[in-house]
Amino acid sequence: MTSSIFRLMSRVRGLFGRKEADSEFDREMQTHLQLLTEQFIRQGMDPKDAWSAARRQFGNTTLLRQRQRESRTFLSFPNILQDLRYGFRMLWKSPAFSVIAALTLALGIGATSAVFSLIQGVLLTPPPYQKPQQLMLIPSVRTDGRKTDSTRGWAAQQWLEWNEKVGAFQGIAGYGWTFNFLVRNDGSQSMQGMEVSKEYFRVMGLKTAFGHGFDDSDFGQGHVKSILLGYEFWQRAFGGDKQIIGKTVRISRWDSSPVVVGVMEPGVRFLPSPGAAKEPNYDVNATVDIWVPADPDPKNMKDPGWYVVGRLRDEVTPQRGQQELAALTASEASAEKDFEGFSPQLEPLTDEMNRDGRRILLPLLGASVLVLLIACGNAAALLLVRGLQRQQEYAVRIAMGTGRIGLLRQVLTEGLILAIFGGTLGVGLAVFAVHLFKVVAGHAVPRLDAVTAGWAVLGWGLGLAVLAAFIAGAIPALRAFRLNPMEVLKDGGPRGTAGIGERRLLHGVAMLQISLTLALLVGAGLLIRTMVKIAEVSSGYNTSRILTMSVTEVQDQAAWGPFHRHALERVAAIPGVQYAAFAWGVPLTGNNWHGTMDIEGQPPPAKESDKIELPMRAATPDYFKLMGLPLTDGREFRQTDDDKAPSVAIVNQAFTHRYFPNSNSVGRKIWFGSRDKPGIQIVGEIANGRTDDLTQEPLPEVYLPLWQAHAFSKHLVVRTTADPRTVVVAVERELRAVDPTAAIENVKTLEQIRDESLASRTFAMHLLTGFSVLGSVLTLVGIYGVISLSVASRRRELAIRSAVGAQQSDIRRLIFGEGFRLIVGGVLGGIALAVVLSGVLRSFLFEVQPSDPATFIVVGALFVGVGLLACWAPVRRAGKVDPLEALRYE
Amino acid sequence: MSSDIFFAMAKGAILSADKSEVLQGTLDMMILKTLHVLGPQHGFGIARRIEQVSEDVLTLNEGTVYTSLLRLQQQGWIESEWGTSENNRKARFYSITRRGRTQLTVETENWERISGVIGRVLRLEAEK
Repeated sequence: MTSSIFRLMSRVRGLFGRKEADSEFDREMQTHLQLLTEQFIRQGMDPKDAWSAARRQFGNTTLLRQRQRESRTFLSFPNILQDLRYGFRMLWKSPAFSVIAALTLALGIGATSAVFSLIQGVLLTPPPYQKPQQLMLIPSVRTDGRKTDSTRGWAAQQWLEWNEKVGAFQGIAGYGWTFNFLVRNDGSQSMQGMEVSKEYFRVMGLKTAFGHGFDDSDFGQGHVKSILLGYEFWQRAFGGDKQIIGKTVRISRWDSSPVVVGVMEPGVRFLPSPGAAKEPNYDVNATVDIWVPADPDPKNMKDPGWYVVGRLRDEVTPQRGQQELAALTASEASAEKDFEGFSPQLEPLTDEMNRDGRRILLPLLGASVLVLLIACGNAAALLLVRGLQRQQEYAVRIAMGTGRIGLLRQVLTEGLILAIFGGTLGVGLAVFAVHLFKVVAGHAVPRLDAVTAGWAVLGWGLGLAVLAAFIAGAIPALRAFRLNPMEVLKDGGPRGTAGIGERRLLHGVAMLQISLTLALLVGAGLLIRTMVKIAEVSSGYNTSRILTMSVTEVQDQAAWGPFHRHALERVAAIPGVQYAAFAWGVPLTGNNWHGTMDIEGQPPPAKESDKIELPMRAATPDYFKLMGLPLTDGREFRQTDDDKAPSVAIVNQAFTHRYFPNSNSVGRKIWFGSRDKPGIQIVGEIANGRTDDLTQEPLPEVYLPLWQAHAFSKHLVVRTTADPRTVVVAVERELRAVDPTAAIENVKTLEQIRDESLASRTFAMHLLTGFSVLGSVLTLVGIYGVISLSVASRRRELAIRSAVGAQQSDIRRLIFGEGFRLIVGGVLGGIALAVVLSGVLRSFLFEVQPSDPATFIVVGALFVGVGLLACWAPVRRAGKVDPLEALRYE
Repeated sequence: MSSDIFFAMAKGAILSADKSEVLQGTLDMMILKTLHVLGPQHGFGIARRIEQVSEDVLTLNEGTVYTSLLRLQQQGWIESEWGTSENNRKARFYSITRRGRTQLTVETENWERISGVIGRVLRLEAEK
């Protein structure tokens, strides 16, 4: 062991002062030879013979010097330097080739490392919790296996018992999503927050950056006494002012002003609260703005309002946790009727967090890898062709005694140099691409704000460059390795031509490229068709010329009614405004409040899990006219449908279809809570609209008059006669005139909202289209190159053919046929590949099957057409081969 | 490290064509022994001594002595410095180190044990 260290160290030393060591050794050998010569002379030899006898007895000095040098330091290090120097020189000599090859690789490496950087930032960066792999979300599922429309939480009584009794967990904590406003005189600011139980920060392993966390005394019933600020919100709203700690802040709807006790560490995001997922402003991928202590209310221990997260003990599997928890929950359910029908389903936190990101990023990664492979194919073909031009050189070098391994290394080194250049260029492209993604893909990829175009891009880029060098260099290197110097030297044929073997190899590479490109094109085609289908879908309402913004009155309850009525009057009076309405549940915003209700004529629910839950909306009278949702039965809301009037509701046709299939809804009643109360009369029915998701069939909906439902957060919706963006300033001015503290946020046109709801599809479509265009260009260049080389290599054969009577058209047909077979072969392979791969896009598609024959046929035919165009120039060149060439060559 | 020779022998025995491997291992040992007995020597001196002792049984390219010397030096078993030879020539003189002496003892024992075993095996073969 010690000797190997000694040897290693002396070899490291050997890296330096190579020249000195060489000359010292030369002197040592000289001395030896002279002494030996002298000895021979003393023994009576002729001085001339003595010298050569000494050399004979000593052995080959050159070989010895070489061996000495190699064992003095690492065997191949000086050789690598030499290879690098030589490689640079060769690439410098043919700049056009080098630039094209490096650029080709840069495109592939750039695309792939950009997507890799997204994956690194979104999927591979762990959340800032301690040992996040131990954290388990505990959502509920129905015991009968049926799906629920909305996810139910857990009762405090249940999870408190779990925390006490389940041994598999270190701790279990309850949490919920909360939403409020920081009241400010110049326009209030919305805050998304988490309500957390006493155990939460300990279970998650979160620490504050400044100040301190919650004490036990912060938890209790009544007013919230203290809050924590999220780091990003603290920066945004308070400019990072540490003085805020210990001070109070005003929060809407809270009677007392809580004290800020601390600031949470940066980068902490929400845990999913499925029950709140349809609230406005709910964004599970955002960073948490405020933290509010929450303690189970002893009066409401059976209220299923908590979401639950647990941390498994070290070495405990999720399966064991699941078993223990399920057993305890089953016994809880048998003891208490309210708990019946639901069981826990453990879900690793990191899986849940990455679900959306993985859904979009993995297919894109696949696509970018295809681009990289296509680029490698081109680079390999270029290197191979150049290798053919240099066969003579290789042969001479082998004949002169370069080892085949040495030659292999040399060829690979050249590939590596190209790839490093390409990689560096590619990293530049990737940095640009990541910036671009961050601008265009904000709504498509979750947590994109955490992605930075930093060292990760460089690392991925260079890593990929090495990989690319290997893929692109392998084929030419193997050709060089198997080169028979005798054949090449004997042949001495024209340079830049390829034998049948090489041509087959190149055809293979090009076919593979065509297949990969076709797979990309099919993916892009499927997504484009999807977008076309979505555009064709009738949403049931208008999206044009509609402006929306979330408007919230943050003062006390008494101000609510006057504020909204005044605001509507003033906004409606603005020139250019056709209609104005307040609404809660504006289409495609994701706002969706599920209410549990009883409907006339429906059997009373036997179990908790059988209750009817439907999406609820609230609107002021002009809303349906504004949206273009026609009334199909009964009447619309009136200004008089307020607290003083009887409760009324409007439903959509889907509601009638589901609950009163053979009659009508108008005149029926629904109840929230017990049927003993007066109930709500259905007074109208409107047409269906795809309000939740453009790709989903409309669901039953219940609309309430806003004057009766008093929604706290809601949108102001304005229909204008011209471009809706022109009235933004005026609308804001009017609202502020009514109450300067009102929060006005998320100003968007309905078209923007529509586009955002399709963002992940649009992003995937754009990226795949971009990638497939890139891949197609590379592949077409590849096809052109292969056919050109083929024509160049077959000049003599073509000349002979035309000398013995072949017409130009025959020769063109010959080469054309070669191209056609190549392209069609590649396209068929690509269709097979696409059939296998397109399944990963399934979740993005709408009314298009992954194996959609129309897409396959169109894309395939299109590519054959374009591919044949790439053959056109070489085919023409082949037709012009002069029969005299046949004679000239001999 | 003490197993170097054994491996060399084993390799030589299996790949019987590769005689220099056997020679190499043993050459290292012979050089160490020479330096141990004669004190600091230059390469020429070492070659002469081995020639003298081996009585023409071993023929070697004297150059290989230097390969051996470099290897021994890298192991830290010998060290070298420049000096002047008998007829005023500059030459590099090699001398054995303390680690080298330990190594020599180990390898000598090893060699004797192995050659004893091989001798016994060969005698057995002859009696049969």
